[in-house]
Amino acid sequence: MWTPTGKPTDRPSVTPFLCLAVDVEDMSEDNSLDRRTFVKLAGGAAASVTLAGCSGDGSETTAPGDDEDTPTPTESGGMDGGDTPTATEADGDEDTSTPEGTETAEEFPVTITQGQPPSTLDPHDHRETPTDTVVLHAYEGILARTPGGEIFGNLATSFERVDPGVVRFEIREDVQFHNGDDLTPRDVAYSVNRIVDGSVGFESPQSDQLAGVTGASVVDGERAVEVESDGLNPVVFSLFANYCDVMQRSWVRADDTEPATEMNGTGPFQLSSYEEGVQVVFERFDDYWDDPADVTELTFLGAGEASTRVNQLLEGETDIVVNVPPQEISRLSDSDTASVAAEASTRIIYNGMRYDVEPFSDPKFRRAMNYAVDLNSIIENVLQTFGDPTGQPTLEGFVGHNPDVGPYEYDPDQAEQLVSESGYEGAELELHTPNGRYLRDFEIAQAVVSQIDSLSNVSCEVNQRDFGSLAGELTDGDITTSPHFYLIGWGNATFDASQTIIPLLTSDGAVSSYSNEEVDSMMEAAQTEDDREERDATLQELNALLHDQAPWIFLNRQYSVYGSSNRIDWSPRADERIDAYAISPAE
Amino acid sequence: MRTVSTGRFLLKRAIQGLFVVWGVVTVVFLLRFITPGDPVTFIAPLDASQELRRQIAAELGLDRPIYIQYLDYLAGLVQGDMGYSYISKTEASTRVFARLPATIELALAATIVAVVLSIPLGVISATRRHQPVDYGATLFSLMGISTPNFWLGIMLVLVFAVQFGLFPTSQRGIGSAQIVAELVYVTVQDINLPFVGRPGAGAQLVFEPRMNISAATDAAVTWLAHITLPAITLGTYFTALITRLTRSGMLEELGEAYIRASRAKGLPESLIRYKHALRNTLAPVVTVVGLQLGTLIGGAVITEAVFAWPGLGTELIRAINLRDWPIIQGSLIVIGAGFVIVNTLVDAIQAYLDPRVVAD
Repeated sequence: MWTPTGKPTDRPSVTPFLCLAVDVEDMSEDNSLDRRTFVKLAGGAAASVTLAGCSGDGSETTAPGDDEDTPTPTESGGMDGGDTPTATEADGDEDTSTPEGTETAEEFPVTITQGQPPSTLDPHDHRETPTDTVVLHAYEGILARTPGGEIFGNLATSFERVDPGVVRFEIREDVQFHNGDDLTPRDVAYSVNRIVDGSVGFESPQSDQLAGVTGASVVDGERAVEVESDGLNPVVFSLFANYCDVMQRSWVRADDTEPATEMNGTGPFQLSSYEEGVQVVFERFDDYWDDPADVTELTFLGAGEASTRVNQLLEGETDIVVNVPPQEISRLSDSDTASVAAEASTRIIYNGMRYDVEPFSDPKFRRAMNYAVDLNSIIENVLQTFGDPTGQPTLEGFVGHNPDVGPYEYDPDQAEQLVSESGYEGAELELHTPNGRYLRDFEIAQAVVSQIDSLSNVSCEVNQRDFGSLAGELTDGDITTSPHFYLIGWGNATFDASQTIIPLLTSDGAVSSYSNEEVDSMMEAAQTEDDREERDATLQELNALLHDQAPWIFLNRQYSVYGSSNRIDWSPRADERIDAYAISPAE
Repeated sequence: MRTVSTGRFLLKRAIQGLFVVWGVVTVVFLLRFITPGDPVTFIAPLDASQELRRQIAAELGLDRPIYIQYLDYLAGLVQGDMGYSYISKTEASTRVFARLPATIELALAATIVAVVLSIPLGVISATRRHQPVDYGATLFSLMGISTPNFWLGIMLVLVFAVQFGLFPTSQRGIGSAQIVAELVYVTVQDINLPFVGRPGAGAQLVFEPRMNISAATDAAVTWLAHITLPAITLGTYFTALITRLTRSGMLEELGEAYIRASRAKGLPESLIRYKHALRNTLAPVVTVVGLQLGTLIGGAVITEAVFAWPGLGTELIRAINLRDWPIIQGSLIVIGAGFVIVNTLVDAIQAYLDPRVVAD
């Protein structure tokens, strides 16, 4: 039995909020840690749980939100026995990847199989994690995150807020695109505008990911870019740490360029071949601005069937597979060649209850539904422990998470009493759920329905839905077309409570099932608060309120479950991305 | 006289085929308007504003009236333009036709497996009626017809790939074209075909012998290793079907008067079985094989999913899951057109073999 370790709760929060300039390059040098080592050490600290091979027990020293202080490498955590990844380990890592060494001359091909191949190679024209995972090996963002979620400068050497609505990025020098041209601030500004401004190129489906950002411009005479927002944007660095890959302006605009099938980024891997819908092959980019990757050739495949992916891994045809279902775990854990690696993701699974229809309009009834569900049993038996219980919309480790608010206890008697007090005895419910969209979603829904149905004064049945039609009803901007009661999952890679609560639980939220004036006003207060601690406190209070109001049945935090070959040294990330730059040969 | 009748018959069939394809195009086009799930849902994030959704819909042309979209699609189709994938923004025709060779390759391999196994099995079963080999063949046929493709595929992988390591678990490896490429280098210049490539002045094929035997052998081994299990999986149902057909056809023929007369004349039994009885049995078998080839192209979806085979079926599933309608329409039209073409060819063969078909 494995034990989850190193969860984001291990992270002490919080650092000053409104911004000092951060010189990431200096930080890196001062600590004798290059970016790759830093990412890898943090990766160990992010502490994936493993059934075989290495296990992490790490923690980070900075909160993962809009942290504008220098991110520092972990001070504790590491491998078995709680060993700390030391400077010696880091040095050793560096030594093995020096250009003069034999390591870089050796071939170290790695293959990764996802559920589907990338839909496009244009980093600004998709909204899918599998595509993101592929394109981020060739393209890089201005900022980035460690596997545990801390923000650090990537193509920016420093970043600061110069005005409530304006932030400034100093752009790294000596960075080359794969075609040999130098990165310029103009390229960075163009990339921001390509996403947020439809008149620059096209309507990017990512424009909402840079919420509030209105445009970017180059600072005259300086190697810097200023990004403007429509007022104070407290999460702007969080957004740029996740989104906005930098493309070369002249390359994109050239007549003979097709960004959907070609690539020209600054990342550690350059495109070698692309067979649309089949595979993507990268080769190491030796002129990368940081140390070259250990991986010499990187191949991405797609296989929709979980058993096919697991078979590939067991036969050594691939090195990492995604979304290993619980029933396949034992095949991997019994294997000598592969193991299971799991990491708590940034996705929460919940049952939305429409506030505007009976019986869900009554908070007592909604609380009763939470008491009726035996969440621990679901996690133990349905998810085989690959999940964490939740009791508020904001996950542990996120800005705004309230550590004093726990999950609802399983108490069917209390549930029946609350149903009785609400006056909705005999209510007949129907839970709409997708099947196969999230880890064991349908099985979770069946368990929830069974437990609610076992109450003496409520009956409940499950309605299996096609995800597309269910999502269409939830996102059409008309709450009256949404099911009264549904299961859905929400991923929030910004590590900030606002990006869950605003869209899902405020009156004007795009996917909201709930409306409460107090919630709206507290959320607005948080979004206009420029003091980080005050904002965090407001968000925590808001999460406590939402726990009491119970707009959802709070279910589980989803885990990303991977299989990985024992020939590689790799740890999963919380944001569901797979970073081959952090992969090295197993020792 | 016969030639004129056959020509008219085939022309009639071809025109009927065109109407069928048009019907397929229309039905498939209209399907998207009754299928739940707006494509914009899959392109835009869940929390996208309604304004962004409207902009994306407008960019894809989904905000236009249905009849305009339909006429626009038909006009594009006759010019070989299937539109652009909603998701990847690349040409739908390019994606669909890029997948087609893998599916046809798999269907042909499955057909070869079926024919090679089933006809001898059917003949042996018929000539040794009520003997153990007949019971064995009948049992095999029953099991083959009853076994679901996906289960058989998974079992074959677990036994022959995972347990014994004899075959790769999945993927296509390389295409059969790679084997040819090692023997002869073919350059296609300015090809001008509907749906593929860009318009040009005409096709010019340049052949340049390479005869890289060693590499071709390696490529053939790799190709064979990858296609064996999917071909068996896809071909098993077909094998069982043809075995039963051959067996019953043979039994019927062997009971005919001309067979008795042949035996009375003292002809060798092998000559009677294989030259006379089998030959007459094969006519309906060939028809079924031809028709089933079309079914295999359309029915390879599940086998492709189990083996992550990058064919039209895999592409179709992906497109359906994402409501990528230009790809769905293109795939279904190609599959439908494939059926029509195969049926027309089978009709032509039948018309040649049996003039009574034309007369009817």
